[in-house]
Amino acid sequence: MDNRYSRQILFPGIGKEGQEKIRSKHVLIIGAGALGSGNAEVLARAGTGKITIIDRDYVEASNLQRQQLYTEEDVAEKLPKAAAAEKRLKAINSDVEVAAIIGDATPEFLEELIQGVDLIVDATDNFETRMAMNDVSQKYNVPWIYGACVGSYGMSFTIIPGKTPCLNCLLRSIPLQGLTCDTGGIIGPAVQMVIAHQTAESLKILAEDWEAVRTAFVSFDLWRNEYSSIKMSRAKYEGCLSCGENRTYPYLEAENMMKTTVLCGRDTVQIRPSVQGEIPLKELAGQLSSLGYEVKGNPYLISVDLADSGERMVIFKDGRALVHGTKDLIHAKSVYQRIMG
Amino acid sequence: MNKIMFFAHLRDAAGEFINMEAAGKTVAQLKAEVAEKYSLQNIETVMTAINEEFAGNEEIIQDGDVIAFIPPVSGG
Repeated sequence: MDNRYSRQILFPGIGKEGQEKIRSKHVLIIGAGALGSGNAEVLARAGTGKITIIDRDYVEASNLQRQQLYTEEDVAEKLPKAAAAEKRLKAINSDVEVAAIIGDATPEFLEELIQGVDLIVDATDNFETRMAMNDVSQKYNVPWIYGACVGSYGMSFTIIPGKTPCLNCLLRSIPLQGLTCDTGGIIGPAVQMVIAHQTAESLKILAEDWEAVRTAFVSFDLWRNEYSSIKMSRAKYEGCLSCGENRTYPYLEAENMMKTTVLCGRDTVQIRPSVQGEIPLKELAGQLSSLGYEVKGNPYLISVDLADSGERMVIFKDGRALVHGTKDLIHAKSVYQRIMG
Repeated sequence: MNKIMFFAHLRDAAGEFINMEAAGKTVAQLKAEVAEKYSLQNIETVMTAINEEFAGNEEIIQDGDVIAFIPPVSGG
């Protein structure tokens, strides 16, 4: 298929040489939800050499509104997202090597997955995984592209080890409760706008047009008609434990990871988040009930019925949670992070 | 005088922007004040820009600076 990439080769930023570079590269996409689907499709169509995509969930009806790789058939079959994504990506472009992994992107596993990878694309839904991704990126000197959205709002930032500040420079700690698509809702165009920013950056990096890479932090609100670009040259933090001189890669260490345990004799998983702090229970309860969840609570905890999956989650003030109705650690973690970010 | 802008869900609580005197304060002080006034949760991890440039918590605000509070979101 000589003609296949002709329009992309005609584009001066890529050209024949850029196309050959794209062809020789390996991209790791963490997550196969809305951002993962879109990023994977663009990169597969663009002729990326190899795409590895990892996800721990299966396709549900509420995904179809924005997760572009999936169909009603995938929902009916309850296909894992990674498996459904692989099938579709191979149908789109059989030239591309696709490695789909059904599993949890733990820090330990990320260190394994990053071997031979040229670029990581963030398509996850929680900051715990992003911080681990950020540490792995710094440790193995592989760039990554942060992307996230909720409601009509989205943001992206490209992180290149040794050049730009890293995510830990910007946040200094894991945000206790980031808004997620399950708590704040989401519209398709916000997803697509983040994907557009992430994939443009991916193509620049894969084609090695480093000059063209965006150095600003972009955020936008498509409903409120806003677009902002923040200069980040002064954001690098010398004392950063992920990219500073005395780095320790804290998010790759076991004591900083979320802990999950099956409670003996009960169909329940306990989750202990990596960060300690007070959860604004009242606000969270209000948010969830306005979204139609059945929420009960008192000053110490709230209990949420997750009608979609049949489980019930109890969240305590310190962020600890019990997910009732499952013994599956990975599933419980996914349920927790969908609500808590 | 300073213009202070709010993004994403912060806007639901505080509105699009406010004008207030913030010169001489650090970003952290301003964050604490605004969080208290509008009962904003978890303001510590909200990113701050002064005149469209990233600003750390220790940075001191000058008269006329435009400050933006940008909460990182996690959906994907």
